[in-house]
Amino acid sequence: MDQSVAIQETLAEGEYCLIAVQGVLCEGDSRQSRLLGLVRYRLEHGGQEHALFVYTHRRMAITGDDVSLDQIVPISRDFTLEEVSREGELYILGSDVTVQLDTAELSLVFQLPFGSHTRTFLQEVARACPGFDPSTQDPEFLWLSRYRCSERETEPTTRLGWNSAPGTWPGCARIGGGGPSFEDSRPNGKGLLVDQSSWSQDKPENLLPRQNKSKSEITDMVRSSTITVADKAHILSMQKFGLRDTIVKSHLIQKEEDYTYIQNFRFFVGTYNVNGQSPKECLQPWLSHGVQAPDVYCVGFQELDLSKEAFFFHDTPKEEEWFKAVSEGLYPGTKYAKVKLIRLVGIMLLLYVKQEHAEYISEVEAETVGTGIMGRMGNKGGVAIRFRFHNTSICVVNSHLAAHTEEYERRNQDYKDICSRMQFCQVDPSLPPLTINKHDVILWLGDLNYRIEELDVEKVKKLIEEKAFQTLYAYDQLRAQVAAKAVFEGFSEGELTFQPTYKYDTGSDDWDTSEKCRAPAWCDRVLWKGKNITQLSYQSHMALKTSDHKPVSSVFDIGVRVVNEELYRKTLEEIVRSLDKLENANIPSVSLSRREFCFQNVKFMQLQVESFTIQNGPVPCQFEFINKPDEESYCKRWLNANPSRGFLLPDSIIKIELELFVNKTTATKLNSGEDKIEDILVLHLDRGKDYFLSVSGNYMPSCFGSPIHTLCYMKEPILDLPLETIRHLTLMQLQTEDDGSHLEKPMDIPKELWMMVDYLYRNAIQQEDLFQQPGLRLEFEHIRDCLDTGTIDHLSASNHSVAEALLLFLESLPEPVICYRAYRSCLECSGNLTASNQVITTLPACHRNVFTYLMAFLQELLKNSARNHLDGNILASIFGSLLLRSPAGHQKLETAEKKKAQEFIHQFLCNSP
Amino acid sequence: MAKKTYDLLFKLLLIGDSGVGKTCVLFRFSDDAFNTTFISTIGIDFKIKTVELQGKKIKLQIWDTAGQERFHTITTSYYRGAMGIMLVYDITNGKSFENISKWLRNIDEHANEDVERMLLGNKCDMDDKRVVPKGKGEQIAREHGIRFFETSAKANINIEKAFLTLAEDILRKPLKLHIVSHPKYLGPKDFEGRCCSETSL
Repeated sequence: MDQSVAIQETLAEGEYCLIAVQGVLCEGDSRQSRLLGLVRYRLEHGGQEHALFVYTHRRMAITGDDVSLDQIVPISRDFTLEEVSREGELYILGSDVTVQLDTAELSLVFQLPFGSHTRTFLQEVARACPGFDPSTQDPEFLWLSRYRCSERETEPTTRLGWNSAPGTWPGCARIGGGGPSFEDSRPNGKGLLVDQSSWSQDKPENLLPRQNKSKSEITDMVRSSTITVADKAHILSMQKFGLRDTIVKSHLIQKEEDYTYIQNFRFFVGTYNVNGQSPKECLQPWLSHGVQAPDVYCVGFQELDLSKEAFFFHDTPKEEEWFKAVSEGLYPGTKYAKVKLIRLVGIMLLLYVKQEHAEYISEVEAETVGTGIMGRMGNKGGVAIRFRFHNTSICVVNSHLAAHTEEYERRNQDYKDICSRMQFCQVDPSLPPLTINKHDVILWLGDLNYRIEELDVEKVKKLIEEKAFQTLYAYDQLRAQVAAKAVFEGFSEGELTFQPTYKYDTGSDDWDTSEKCRAPAWCDRVLWKGKNITQLSYQSHMALKTSDHKPVSSVFDIGVRVVNEELYRKTLEEIVRSLDKLENANIPSVSLSRREFCFQNVKFMQLQVESFTIQNGPVPCQFEFINKPDEESYCKRWLNANPSRGFLLPDSIIKIELELFVNKTTATKLNSGEDKIEDILVLHLDRGKDYFLSVSGNYMPSCFGSPIHTLCYMKEPILDLPLETIRHLTLMQLQTEDDGSHLEKPMDIPKELWMMVDYLYRNAIQQEDLFQQPGLRLEFEHIRDCLDTGTIDHLSASNHSVAEALLLFLESLPEPVICYRAYRSCLECSGNLTASNQVITTLPACHRNVFTYLMAFLQELLKNSARNHLDGNILASIFGSLLLRSPAGHQKLETAEKKKAQEFIHQFLCNSP
Repeated sequence: MAKKTYDLLFKLLLIGDSGVGKTCVLFRFSDDAFNTTFISTIGIDFKIKTVELQGKKIKLQIWDTAGQERFHTITTSYYRGAMGIMLVYDITNGKSFENISKWLRNIDEHANEDVERMLLGNKCDMDDKRVVPKGKGEQIAREHGIRFFETSAKANINIEKAFLTLAEDILRKPLKLHIVSHPKYLGPKDFEGRCCSETSL
């Protein structure tokens, strides 16, 4: 059921409801049904604006009277509508979609029904958002002014009332007005602009001051709103809604522990500030000092190249040199595969894995973030490689943060910039980019440049000499900043058991003797974050003397989630099965109170009704009786289902009536047995099952609908005859003259006709308005039964009822008194009595007899016209169309044809034969 | 990896005399359960099940039909659009086996020409009440060039195998038959060749 139709009825010219969806407005604990309509308005100067109209409504809204405007939310640049899921809540297929509507000044949460319609609605809304093309004007929403409330006083009462006069909305429209916001229904806790304490649900008058915002206020808010928020409306992609794939994935993540186990892998993490030097010595003392070959190497360099060329053209021969030096320094006798090399000016990170692990590395992405000159250049900053090792996501960051002792805050800022600006693309482009923090394991290495504070150079050197590293560590800036939660929150670092790695005279182990005479510091560090990480060693390597820094290494055992293929398949199958189950449960299904309907002793023109109920299951659905193959309607012509289609809300019940009514068009075939009171109805549920309903019963044959010649052969009342005889006689061909093939000579005219005419002749010859007043239905049923059972002596009915029965009898004749084949010739010779008489003689004997008999009766009536007020014209017009019926059917009869038919009868009435 | 949830959608149909166990066969396959209470299917029911074959995710939409004779003219209208038809008889019911040729004629008349057919002799767990020897089923299947399985929904014999084999046979056919579908809910109405509902609207 498209409820936008109902909304459309209430809209003004130029406004068009694109799509509507019925949802539930969630305000705190209250849940109220609302109809949401996306309304478009075409501006005179071109372009269009949109607003979301929110209505209260009764039942399924069918007409404008069913809906009442609750509020209007203009779709301005700050408008967003996005799907939300609550923290820790599992996405369930088929469950409602919770969406949050945000504008600068209001925030509403709706639950919309699961399914494609909701999806389409959300897409339409997203498309209606104005976008951020600066060349387009901000929407002004002038057209909404007519909805603005004029009388505040009416607000509290009319807000929930039914709208009685569309077009004259009471003061219930809140243009850009804020609605109540509720913290608990706001999963992402975005900034509220409304003071919640003053927004209680049961005090609608609180809303008043906000509802009369002037247009300028609205546009001001529009202009001042931020772009980033509304952008989400455009990101709002359909992938977010109901995609089975996403659900499978999220279930797999949740059940990860079922099909994975933790296996330790050895990681080597090293950092070396090479001060622009080329490799001059073997790196094995640094890279291969352990007793066991690492599974993964993460090797980072800083100040790889300090030349201008490297800075401006990002090109350096040092990259190749150091890559080669590292490759040669890896653990001997073990084959490693390079996974990735990433470099930003002098900051380079290399990732190797043992060859045998290569196939378990996936989703490798590398990015760089410059935080140097102007906060962007690559002389400082970070590079990172993220990848997936088995089922664990790992991010390795190498950073070179700002220098100088006093610049620790700058270093903190560099760290934050790297964290926020480092974004990795995902394989699925619809997913938001990954940040460093969204990884199971983070390894952070580099020249972080934090220094030792408060102590003078000599004191530092003395403590180093005493190997009082713990004492010295107390003055470490990084320690202090981490403790103050200013940087590296959540990260761990091993104990510093080695002397500071900076600053030495190149080529020696001597402290800096240059004029700057820098104080020693632990510039080069390795930190980590994540579960199942054990640091095995953390040390510097004094043997290497190429640079003014010493390289640092750390070896870890990291527990990585490894997939058990068999268990994985089993889990996946379970998920797929559960989704199939959900999907099957979402197939509409109803129960019917009855499926078989027996209509006993159906009589001509006597309505019988049987009813049943459809009880819906938990899935809303549309039902409809549908046509069977090669049939024009869903049931036989004597049957009707009421209603034959409709919409069912979950667990609702509807009563369906099956109405059986045999009229002149269906009676003959039921008499002849060509048709039976038997039918199967197919009740179809949209997107669901079909149900078959069986209709059976028996028909009581009647003279009504029987051919004249058949009745002439029936000497007994029709209901006294065996059905077989009735069938036989009804199917008997009409012959012009009796060919003597029947043993019994037929009667001249049907006895039933005689009974009615005789009754009228005896009782109604002087009846005023005969044939012009309707009879009584009950009396007709009595007359019919008398005729069909031959109990005419019991007949007691008004003259009008008998007269009408006579007309009905003639009307129900499958072959009219003037046979179809004689119809044309009758019209042609109308006005020429001799010729007309000639045509009558060509009719089959029984039809001829009936015609003559009726004409004689009508002439008798005319003799009493002084009393019954009948005249030739009246009778000719009544009987003309009954005795002469066009073979083409009644509907198309032209007036000229009708006239001729009347004229034909008329000439027999006014001229005695 | 952003894989589609399923690559193909196959519509399968279960036909056969009333009481041979069509609904139980479907229920066993879709829900892996068995229900002894007999409720005659008066109408058309369907269930879906996702399977993986040859690396492809295939959504099977399986239609269960009313077996009673009086509904035959209606149920045949559901044949069109079916890519596979399972014709089920009951090995303990001779009449249901005799009617096989009538059902096969029905398929010829009403189903797509290239529909994949399969014959199932159900209730094979009830060997003590067997009246149709396995050989007779095999013979009629051979004569018509179709696959044959004896199954038991109750004892879960060959049910999954039968469905997967039928799906595999369809998969092996030329591609034009396959409906590559979007990962959205596909109800019967969305389905091509569903005469009853399609023509009525």
